[in-house]
Amino acid sequence: MPASMMQHSLDGVMGLTGVRAGAQRRWQKTGWPDHRAEQWRFTRLSGLQKVDLRFAESAAITAENQEFSAAMPDNAAFLSFSNGVFDQASLDNLPKGVKASLLDGDEATLLALSELVPQSHPISDLSLAAMTSGIHLEISGAVEIPIVLAFTGDDNSLSAHPVVSIKINDGASVVISEWHRSNVGLSAPLMAIEVGKKARLDYAKVQQDSAASTHLSATGLKLGDDSIFDGFQISVGGKLARLETHITLAGENADCTLSAIYLGRSSQHHDITTNMNHLKGHCLSNQVIRGVLDDKARGVFQGKVHVAPDAQKTDGQQMSRVLLLSRKAEADAKPELEIYADDVLCAHGATIGELDETQLFYLASRGIDGQTARGMLISAFLDDAIDSIKHDGLSAMLRPITTAWMTAVDLNSDGEL
Amino acid sequence: MAPLLEIKDLHASVGDTPILKGIDLIINTGEIHAIMGPNGSGKSTMSYVLAGRDGYEVTGGDILMNGESLLEMEADERARAGMFLAFQYPVELPGVGGMSFLRAAVNARRIDAGEKEVDQLEFVKMVRAKAKHLNINDDMLKRAVNVGFSGGEKKRYEILQMALLEPALSVLDETDSGLDVDALKVVSEGVNLLRDPQRSMLVITHYQRLLNHIVPDYVHILAGGKIRRSGGKELALEVEESGYAGINDAA
Repeated sequence: MPASMMQHSLDGVMGLTGVRAGAQRRWQKTGWPDHRAEQWRFTRLSGLQKVDLRFAESAAITAENQEFSAAMPDNAAFLSFSNGVFDQASLDNLPKGVKASLLDGDEATLLALSELVPQSHPISDLSLAAMTSGIHLEISGAVEIPIVLAFTGDDNSLSAHPVVSIKINDGASVVISEWHRSNVGLSAPLMAIEVGKKARLDYAKVQQDSAASTHLSATGLKLGDDSIFDGFQISVGGKLARLETHITLAGENADCTLSAIYLGRSSQHHDITTNMNHLKGHCLSNQVIRGVLDDKARGVFQGKVHVAPDAQKTDGQQMSRVLLLSRKAEADAKPELEIYADDVLCAHGATIGELDETQLFYLASRGIDGQTARGMLISAFLDDAIDSIKHDGLSAMLRPITTAWMTAVDLNSDGEL
Repeated sequence: MAPLLEIKDLHASVGDTPILKGIDLIINTGEIHAIMGPNGSGKSTMSYVLAGRDGYEVTGGDILMNGESLLEMEADERARAGMFLAFQYPVELPGVGGMSFLRAAVNARRIDAGEKEVDQLEFVKMVRAKAKHLNINDDMLKRAVNVGFSGGEKKRYEILQMALLEPALSVLDETDSGLDVDALKVVSEGVNLLRDPQRSMLVITHYQRLLNHIVPDYVHILAGGKIRRSGGKELALEVEESGYAGINDAA
């Protein structure tokens, strides 16, 4: 068991009962994964173990959420977390069809949540035990107004553990985006989402935490019969970020997209880990992953597609492509297919490459400067993933983020540092 | 007044292999020059060296445009200064929309010249007008750059870019390669429309047939990395008759 200041302080979380007490016991037994844990081979947390972080407790709701509004659809409803603490005043913003409650003390909902999130997982256990704030949303009918879960923070000596559980009732539909712009030491959101029969969720997660932050999230989704999940993640912020998503296709005919983009520079580390678990037949899953790495940044994609014996006629697609803009950048891809049904269509692929010199010369020969030319080619590369988003509002929200990343500093032209 | 382009004792290598071994050439404003030569004579290398492609290293001599050396200029700077290369094999840019590509190219030059950027509506009109002469329809303009284009479409698209960018010097690298007779005619007519006393062209080709359509003022024979003979348009016909055999010896 690795030594960790965080581990000691979890010992100090007293008086937990039920599900959270169980999570606390598991965490205390296993703690942070060390270098021998296969799932954490490419993303080491040794740096985190040395940092002394306090669990966030009190809310200091800042005006930071204003900055989200500009990038959002006019009518979005904000549910705000600051330093991991939920701002109860934001409940006034709830659109019709959304019911909210607090998780604290709601043992039945906590139990359901604990079964949806990734199992035997450090973030599941730690954030459930340390839960800074927890809310539960229940969605009914067609919710017209997009919901934005906005996470901010201003204290980098804290570790924030917001927990959100969302139940989308049969036939309901909703657009949810999870937007992180925190400056806390560790941001460890735990999300559990259940999409009911014939329900639809359009979802985008934006990770734009501050350059000094670590972001480790665990998200569990369960999709019912004939449901649609159209999900997208973009990871641009943080010093180290791992966005881990486990999806269980638990009903027939579910249609699941989970695409992702990561953009890394300086010595950032981005990790996209997905686990697509096909339990029932006739389901579709599609993942388009695109990474761009500059300077000494590192990117990891681990994607597992598991097809159970009963999941006949599964169509599972996964494609990861990474562009390295610098010779010192590094990417790892670990796609895995595990298939136990015999009548399935599954494919995966992973490529790692550089910008094409011939294409760059063609653009230069038309008078287009190197920075602009590289931006054009990178945009084209990322569009493959952004184009997989079906909700226009969400794709319009995400494009400025990639554009801002490309114009923020000079993109390396030749890998020299 | 300095000539538009002056190539002085140009030596260039690709990797460790010397390809150009002392080229001298002067192109004045308004002139059309053709460079003919057998395979491996250094024709394409010459076009890349002029355009400033990485990996094509000038090891001696100089290239002057309007009296100023191009050697220290990057490819994009040369292009904005009025150099245009029509590629032998135009490059596909998947995901890069044709119209935004064309507009970026036109605006790059305008910004450099201190002119106003062209707005989108005005630009669409401008492109349509020039595309018409080259049988380029809206569908082709909407596609990603060169993606899914036939050989002939790619060459016409090169000439469209040339028409939009109005370069002082156009280098046409084997523009006839891969074209059938009809396509060759369309491309040549497009090029001829751009003939102008203010513009010069360097037409690089293996075969004489292109020069029936784009009639040059001067013809140079390149072989073994050097210009072996220069003359008027009749020199192209002579090559057509007797081939390149013996050219090397003639030097």
